[in-house]
Amino acid sequence: MSWVLERVDDRLVHGQVVLAWGARLHPRRIWVVDDAASPWERDLLKGAAPGIEVKVVTVDEAAAGYAAERDAKGGAFLLLRDLQTALRVVEAGATIRALNLGGLHYAPGKTKVNEYIYLDAADRALARRLRERGVSLEVQDVPSSRPQPLAALDPETATP
Amino acid sequence: MKHRVPALVVMHADLATALLRAAARVYGVVEGVEVLSNEGLSREGLEREIARKVEGWTDGGLVLTDFWGGSCHVCGVAAARGHGDVIVVTGLNLPTLIDYLHNRDELPPRALAERLLQKGKDSIRLHDGQLA
Repeated sequence: MSWVLERVDDRLVHGQVVLAWGARLHPRRIWVVDDAASPWERDLLKGAAPGIEVKVVTVDEAAAGYAAERDAKGGAFLLLRDLQTALRVVEAGATIRALNLGGLHYAPGKTKVNEYIYLDAADRALARRLRERGVSLEVQDVPSSRPQPLAALDPETATP
Repeated sequence: MKHRVPALVVMHADLATALLRAAARVYGVVEGVEVLSNEGLSREGLEREIARKVEGWTDGGLVLTDFWGGSCHVCGVAAARGHGDVIVVTGLNLPTLIDYLHNRDELPPRALAERLLQKGKDSIRLHDGQLA
């Protein structure tokens, strides 16, 4: 069973992940990929999802453990804070086939795709590189909302 | 009057504003409570906004959030780090907020937070059975 949600979300562990997706998919484990997490950030994230094991790992650790987790018992979530991290995990060897885009919020220089996805030129280039590597990108914040291909909402993520 | 414990209510969507408006109907005019929504904010953005609001709390204060594990809670804890006696309380409801208003001039931050924790638990009850 294992990977039941592979998601790009700059909030990482938060309400939509724990209360909405968590209640729907019942993961046993959440992998948070964050090379820069400090010890106190790791502690904070590990305690944020009661009843679920939260593992905070580096890009290399995520890639190295990806296949084994796919074959493990129980479901798992993979959380990536941005498209750069997602591409790095793929390039490091994780055979991700689809990513849910759940939240990339506004920052200066980024333009709106929908209410919770904002991208700049670098993000769009990263999205194209992920597509080239066979990763489909689908926009959906919570389980009850309709998933939409990123390319349909933002054609520049498919063709420059 | 003792030192008043300041509070920042951080919640999803418009819940903090609505909760404060409801509290005013029960308590009367509410002053000195700030509100913040996580709407449209990244993790870093929300953490920065909370930190900006609590940085002047030299004698501590309370960050009151909606639920454990949400961005308001997680970012509240991150922002409160290094700010002394700033305590994050999760699961705030209307009785708890009103209890804060009644006691914020009487108790220090830690004791007030402990009181609100108990108040929150006590305020969720079952009214079981039919009236005669």
